[in-house]
Amino acid sequence: MLSRFKYFKPHTLSEAVQYLEKEDNSYVLAGGTDLMILLRRNLINAEHIVDIKMLPEIAAFEYVEGVGLTIGAAVVVNRVVDSAAVKAKYPALNQAAAALASFQLRNRATVVGNICNASPGADLPPSLLVYDAVVNIAGPKGARQVPLNQFFKGVKRTALERGELVVSIQLPDPGEGDKSIYLRQARLKGHDLATVGVATRIKPDGKVAIGIGAVAPTPLRLSALEDMINERGLSRETVEWAAQEIKQHIRPISDVRSSAAYRLQMASVLLKQGLLKLIEKED
Amino acid sequence: MDEKKYSSKYKRVGQPYDRKDAREKVTGQAVYTYDLELPGMLHARCLLSPYARARIVSIDTSAAKALPGVRAVLTGEDSDILVGLYMQDKRVLSKGETRYHGDVVAAVAADDEETAERGVSLLKVVYEPLEPVRNVDEALEGKILVHDDINELKHYVGVFFPQKDSNIASWNKSKKGDLDKAFDEADLVVENEFSLPAVAHVPMETHVAIVQADPFSNKIKIWASAQSPFAIRQIMADSFHISETDVEVHIPYVGGGFGGKAGIHLEPLAALLSRAAGGLPVKVRATREQEFNQLPTRAGMRGRIKTGVTKDGKITSVKAVYDWDSGAYADYGVNVGKTAVYSGVGPYAVENASIDSKTIYTNKVFSTAYRGFGHLETHWTIERQIDILSQKLGIDPYEFRMKNLLEPGCQTMSGEVITASNGSPKDCLTAVVKEIGWTGRKSEEERQREWKTGKVRGKGFAMLQKAPAMPANTATAVIMQMNGDGHVKMMIGAVDYGQGAITALAQIAAQELDMPIEHIEISSEIDTRANPYDWNTVASKLTFMAGNAVIKASREMLRKMKDVAAQALRTDPDYLDHADGVIFHRHNPERRLTYKQIALGYMYPNGTGIGGPLIASGSSIADGLTNLHPETGQGYPAAVWTFGAHAVEIEVDVETGSIEVLKVASAFDIGQVINEKLVYGQICGGVLQGLGSALLEGYKFNADVQLMNPSFTDNKIPTLKDIPGKIVPIYIENPQFNGPYGARGVGEHPMISVPSAIGNAVYDALGINFHVLPLSPEAIVLGIQSGKKSILCTDVDCLPGLH
Amino acid sequence: MDNSKDCSIYTEHIESGKRKVTLSLTVNGRKVVRDVDPSMTLLHFLRDNLKLFGTKEACGEGECGACTIIMNGKAVTSCIILAVEAEGAEITTVEGLAKGGKLSILQEEFVSQDALQCGFCTPGFLMSSRALLDHNPNPTDEEIIEALSGNLCRCTGYIPILSAVKRAAERERKELGR
Repeated sequence: MLSRFKYFKPHTLSEAVQYLEKEDNSYVLAGGTDLMILLRRNLINAEHIVDIKMLPEIAAFEYVEGVGLTIGAAVVVNRVVDSAAVKAKYPALNQAAAALASFQLRNRATVVGNICNASPGADLPPSLLVYDAVVNIAGPKGARQVPLNQFFKGVKRTALERGELVVSIQLPDPGEGDKSIYLRQARLKGHDLATVGVATRIKPDGKVAIGIGAVAPTPLRLSALEDMINERGLSRETVEWAAQEIKQHIRPISDVRSSAAYRLQMASVLLKQGLLKLIEKED
Repeated sequence: MDEKKYSSKYKRVGQPYDRKDAREKVTGQAVYTYDLELPGMLHARCLLSPYARARIVSIDTSAAKALPGVRAVLTGEDSDILVGLYMQDKRVLSKGETRYHGDVVAAVAADDEETAERGVSLLKVVYEPLEPVRNVDEALEGKILVHDDINELKHYVGVFFPQKDSNIASWNKSKKGDLDKAFDEADLVVENEFSLPAVAHVPMETHVAIVQADPFSNKIKIWASAQSPFAIRQIMADSFHISETDVEVHIPYVGGGFGGKAGIHLEPLAALLSRAAGGLPVKVRATREQEFNQLPTRAGMRGRIKTGVTKDGKITSVKAVYDWDSGAYADYGVNVGKTAVYSGVGPYAVENASIDSKTIYTNKVFSTAYRGFGHLETHWTIERQIDILSQKLGIDPYEFRMKNLLEPGCQTMSGEVITASNGSPKDCLTAVVKEIGWTGRKSEEERQREWKTGKVRGKGFAMLQKAPAMPANTATAVIMQMNGDGHVKMMIGAVDYGQGAITALAQIAAQELDMPIEHIEISSEIDTRANPYDWNTVASKLTFMAGNAVIKASREMLRKMKDVAAQALRTDPDYLDHADGVIFHRHNPERRLTYKQIALGYMYPNGTGIGGPLIASGSSIADGLTNLHPETGQGYPAAVWTFGAHAVEIEVDVETGSIEVLKVASAFDIGQVINEKLVYGQICGGVLQGLGSALLEGYKFNADVQLMNPSFTDNKIPTLKDIPGKIVPIYIENPQFNGPYGARGVGEHPMISVPSAIGNAVYDALGINFHVLPLSPEAIVLGIQSGKKSILCTDVDCLPGLH
Repeated sequence: MDNSKDCSIYTEHIESGKRKVTLSLTVNGRKVVRDVDPSMTLLHFLRDNLKLFGTKEACGEGECGACTIIMNGKAVTSCIILAVEAEGAEITTVEGLAKGGKLSILQEEFVSQDALQCGFCTPGFLMSSRALLDHNPNPTDEEIIEALSGNLCRCTGYIPILSAVKRAAERERKELGR
């Protein structure tokens, strides 16, 4: 690691924001599971590390009926895996969290960090997207909210501006009768980045939501496809159709992890399997 | 371990003792080279070539040299030392031209790792990228030579055959019978191509060496995570033009090797840096990234095989061509290639055959030994071909193999006549086929029926054989001493880097001397100043060869003990026997002395001593081996064959391509189990490594031959989640006449032919023949999508760089 | 930044040209206070400063688990944690497992089941296993696999490790009444 940095551990959110705004090359440290690798590989030159773990504002992790789920920036992924409320109300998020990296890493990696790292293939965004998650941001100009589907701006790029940091992420209460599932394909059963990850949800009103990772520069919510499915009405025939149609809505690349051809096929298969599993639950 | 019910006829050999090094390893007390700190020790970092092939135009080291804490900066201009096991083809630091993405361009030694890393970051190198040699086809065209001095390279003459003005580091050949006639007369001739990529060893401890090279004398002291201390000593002496006694090599605990540490790697660089830094010890430790892209790999390979058979299923002829993509340097690669010429038809009796095995230079990471030493690769070719032949003949693959397997009286490829003492391939195959309940191939109807469920099961099996690949005069030795308390201390020259060899050898000594294994100590740490010679710790030969040396040493020890005891007991040594740590008179057992009483010499009641400290030794050299004839490949290369077979049952998800391995049955004719627990460990570990090669692992290069997956992020190995549903080990014990208690080596074998068995099971499941590894989910899906029945490298776009 | 002095709980100072902060924590039951460079990882702190060489680095990126330790009750990979993040933490390393000169049951079962070969990954496996059994004295196979699959081993094929942890859990319940 070539970076030589000052380590700063603020006690209040405003201190953190001011520091981040003032100092060039300052980076937010929460779980560190992504940041430490960037540092080790000398992909960034950090002069300031702002460890936000002590901020009281980011500790929140609660589900309130009728309101929804709040996940503070300090919440590590294993807490989401272990949460009975998440398992019951947001199964796709539970499954995505359980699929993320390894057990040890999930003891450090945070949900918000997984969003802020803005990796195209991150496991949590597809599930968070289908729940219409909203990102709560604090910054020099005050607090603001950004819907998650507008938060990702490109590979490793987000809507965060200088001095801003994510305080929490909020998911509306899906209500009764909501169903969801996250399916992923990887190169092995052990910890691996998803080759493709697909979250599918059927809302209480029967409408479908689809989130997908690793098929574009950012995780995607496939709204156009959702509309087409909802228009046709959900049935096994629609599922078969959608499994083909999805290939028109994504533009995966070939890289070291997978060819585009396989990603297309997996997007199709995982969407089909996900929707069928949800329909079966209905039957 | 509850299901295993192995029982031994011996008191100590065959018993499942705990490994001797276990307690140190579960407490964190075991010291590895990685852990070692020496007074004044510096740390080094390397600058690696970012191009597969480039001309080094200039290197500006001034900023690095000026950095406080930097003690030495070296480039190719500073040393012309060449190293190499069989071909002296590798510069310690690149000069003029770099030959692979990862070749060392410069190195910095500094007070700490961080300063060394910072020093490297200050080096300014101007490269002129050159057109690389991407694969074996481009290499064989020979338009660009990876080594334009190939004609002058010093090499092991008569065993390896570099071809003039080419990229062929060695072309080894074998042939017998009348091949043309046999093909003409065959009822069916089938020709196929199979390939597999380079694969990393992935020892958990990366390569690391500490070297202290005194600039005022010839002394070089080395501490290394390495498998072959005496090979390092010999090569260092040879390359640095000093005597072997000037070089001392220490091997502490080694965190895994698998062949990757069989040769010599970071030691010469550390020595040069130490000299340049005034003789301070320098530690060079590979990062995980360097472990993937700087240190050597298993070579990629392409096998082309043509087989003639009669319609009733007798193989009459084989023509095989093995092309090894060995990367930039020959290292162990040429010896891997050599094995193919005597083992490259598998454990089958074939009267007419020819094999051409070419170890080929390309601008990729260079290759070396890897568990199986070429046999996983050749068996991928052979055993898939056998399966395809049985498909075409319409004969059950078990029956087809049984018709052709070696049995007493048959000749191997190199003309060696098999006897009952070689063990039985047929016993192995029959055992595994029975274990998985093979009843013949799945019918197309069954296949279609299962396909509709999304998951199709398949069974498959494959044979394997391997003998140690080693020089004909390979030797080893042990020294045995008795301590004052009657315990025994042994020293060997080979390294136990996890195989359990020191435990197995202690068991053999305990059996011979009839004393508790707890009273026998073998230091796992090697020091070439004290420990006796061993060629290399490779080739699954340690238990076999050192075991025999231990038996000799034990018997010499007993003879000496009995000589002293006979004098003390006033009798003839021939009247004495030994048991449970006591020498006693056969007819009057009360006339006895404990080992302890004579350990340092026997003392009479009046204080007079006789005898002296007990010390014995044993040497073992390969028996009756010969170099192979350069044209025909005939001769005796195999000190001991170990035959085996794997059978697997798998389930293929036809939509995602994922393969679930439900069961693996593995049988080896190992002659005699020395320690069932240790053998089981070799089988579990080897099978999973084999599954890694089968399903998952492989280097990926881009069009510029840069390695795309030099980290655990993208160069995956199996995890605990990836273990098969069940591994059933089967030990066949047809004793080897000259093995210790009849034992044969089995360290590498569990890995060999696991991919072949999986490939054959994939055919059973899908009716598709895959000719390329790994059988990744992607390859399976793209293979199915292609609609073809034979899937070649070019059909699945998942092996960039190989073709 | 009106209260910047209070909010940074560390006193930074420059020591031989390098930035240092004072760190105090408990390791294997022993309280330690040391000055560290803020860029030092917890792994390097344990090895270089405390000379606890049992914890190994095998990738430096949290991918292999060789550097697993228990920090505040949880198994974590110490190679991707900054030492300064461990302020006030309670840490156990492999050196803290055997007590009173006797191997723990878990260690004994690793020995008896031959759950190690080269031994380099073993400390990490022991710590992942220890953290699991501390939280869950009666884990299912699936739970053991989940807790340990972040630890890579190239030698054993994992099967002996799985049986060692299962047997250790059983013995701990019986012998220690967990």
